Amino acid sequence: MSVPVEARQAVRIGLLSAEHVHAPTYLSLLASMPGARLVGVWDEDQGRAAAAAAPVSTRAFDDVDELLEQVDGVVIASANSRHRRLVEVAATAGVDVLCEKPLATTVDDARAIVDACDRAGVRLMTAFPTRWNPAARALESAVRSGALGAPVFLEGVNTGTMPDIHAAWFVDPARSGGGAVTDHVVHLADLFRWILRSEVVEVYAVANRILQERFAGVETGGLVSMRFASGVSATIDCSWSKPRSYPTWGGLSVQAVGTGGAFGIDAFRQHLAVYGTRETGISWPAWGPNADRGMLAEFLSVVRDDREPAVTGIDGLRAVEIVDAAYRSIAAGAPVPLRVGERAGVAPSGPADEGATTRRRADR
Amino acid sequence: MTDGGGREVRPGDRADSRSRRRRPGADGPLRVGVVGAGFIGETHVAAWAAEGIRAVIHDVDADRAAALAGRHGARVAGSLDELFGGVDVVDVCTPTDLHADVAIAAVRAGRHVICEKPMARTLADAGAMLAAARDAGVRLFVAHVVRFFPEYVAARQAVLDGAIGEPGVLRFTRASFRPRQPAGHWFFDHARSGGIVLDLMVHDLDYARWVAGDVVAVHCRSASVAQPDAGVDHAVAILTHRSGAISHVSASWGYAPPTFVTSFEIAGSHGLIEHSSTTAAPVMASLLAGAAGGGLTAMADTSLAGDPFRLELAEFAGAIRDGTEARIGPADGLEALRIALAADESARTGAVVRLARVVE
Repeated sequence: MSVPVEARQAVRIGLLSAEHVHAPTYLSLLASMPGARLVGVWDEDQGRAAAAAAPVSTRAFDDVDELLEQVDGVVIASANSRHRRLVEVAATAGVDVLCEKPLATTVDDARAIVDACDRAGVRLMTAFPTRWNPAARALESAVRSGALGAPVFLEGVNTGTMPDIHAAWFVDPARSGGGAVTDHVVHLADLFRWILRSEVVEVYAVANRILQERFAGVETGGLVSMRFASGVSATIDCSWSKPRSYPTWGGLSVQAVGTGGAFGIDAFRQHLAVYGTRETGISWPAWGPNADRGMLAEFLSVVRDDREPAVTGIDGLRAVEIVDAAYRSIAAGAPVPLRVGERAGVAPSGPADEGATTRRRADR
Repeated sequence: MTDGGGREVRPGDRADSRSRRRRPGADGPLRVGVVGAGFIGETHVAAWAAEGIRAVIHDVDADRAAALAGRHGARVAGSLDELFGGVDVVDVCTPTDLHADVAIAAVRAGRHVICEKPMARTLADAGAMLAAARDAGVRLFVAHVVRFFPEYVAARQAVLDGAIGEPGVLRFTRASFRPRQPAGHWFFDHARSGGIVLDLMVHDLDYARWVAGDVVAVHCRSASVAQPDAGVDHAVAILTHRSGAISHVSASWGYAPPTFVTSFEIAGSHGLIEHSSTTAAPVMASLLAGAAGGGLTAMADTSLAGDPFRLELAEFAGAIRDGTEARIGPADGLEALRIALAADESARTGAVVRLARVVE
């Protein structure tokens, strides 16, 4: 079981599963961040654990319980469908959790994840790093300050290459939960909820399997249109529309219009254009700040101070509900209503910072 | 009734006259009449002038017609009949809800018609225009000028060349400020203009169909951004094409002057085409004197790539002269209107509008 963490003491962190493409990034950041002590990596594939641990000179654990006994918090970077089981294991061990997005592949699993952490009294944070992207924060500030007036319409684009180049499970619906809609709706859905402080009440979505050489396993193209309780409308292009030849993985942008005008952000605009040989081609190495660092710093702070994270498990659940509504709309060919918590049986609650409640854990 | 050359014209007797009658412009410049001396009327008169054609102008406001004629060395016709009597082609640049009346009167007078987009305010009007032109055996063109913008032409050609495989996900943006017409102008009267969806979004609705084919389902959300009481000025439609492709089409008058941004992305089975006017300007001036605040309404600056209005009108004139097809037929104008009306309906009802089969 974890022990109370004294102020200024380094937070002991572990990684559960290195299946996700983000695992190496998380490990290298955690290995270098002040305030964190990277304890090790566990993966059910011991070879994968060892391969992930080696570059940051940390320990690969064979036994998940052994790792959990030595940490205050874990980052879960497994395939989407395994989130629930690993969160439950961590929560049972009394360890705080930062779970990769999407929180789960079904609303029921997302709800179970939230409930497991509540029951165990551990903190649950969903990995939505976009909230720490400076451009996204500038948009949030423009709305919060009133500079944009009353927001009216948000148009988001979160498109990328098909992630099977990183790991095959991304395009196996049994392990990923779905294709482009599962992979790319949640970042912007969460950003929009955060900016608007409102919940989605209706979703319309369309999808197809034309892109990526007519890849048949999961949907590769998707467009989602939603309406918020506040009356604001928003759309998301979540397609895996970047071909293999694209100079980077993809991007995230938003065009917002409000009564005060328009405000556009391009979260990954800060990159060079590098023209190499015919073989290396063109690449866009990023030079802007890494939002993952801000997100991990928040998690370290949450564990250290035992407080509510800026992005909660409920936020992760809400995003999964929006994805679920998008799939229901695709199946129905029509807009579908979405009532917060309705399908998951969770009492309505605003985004994380709306209530700003501090919850004390019984076991600490 | 006689036409301008004194030849007898009998409405309804022109079913195959395209092949029989003298082709206008074959032995002398095409004679063009422009009806409506507003913003697009002036744009067309200027484009005709650049093509060496001095249009005859008619407007219910005779002073406005005279002022426009004076600026371009053109003549004024005091009535529609006078105009029809002296021209081969009638270029309809009236308010949208009057397109059908003027166009049908012109074709019944045996005149070929070029009609500004949208084709009409209602599908019934557009259908009547189509039937009247067919009955009269004259040509009818709908001026969807985006089909003549070089970047849009190049993108479609790249698709046709197979550069990106089969189109799958398309995204179009047309973002600008609210046209600076006075309050009470027909443009802001939804019953007359159809609002932003029929006037602005229709450009990209037509282009999306040109690239990805017929549309079978339309969903749209709209909003009032700048002036809540002045109607919808921002709308986003999601189209499902018969091919399975999907399109995201955004149109806005909610931006600050002098913004005029057009962009598109066409993702296909094997590649991707990107374009944005924000990164395509070949000239970047930041001059202290005479800082511009945008004109009456926004126009794309195409002065360095050829004037699409000239290309458009010259192609229509050539099609009339030579009896050839233009890149847009009258049924295309009707289909663009059908999609736009569906989007407008969806924005109002919140439901998806499914489209019946296209006209044959």
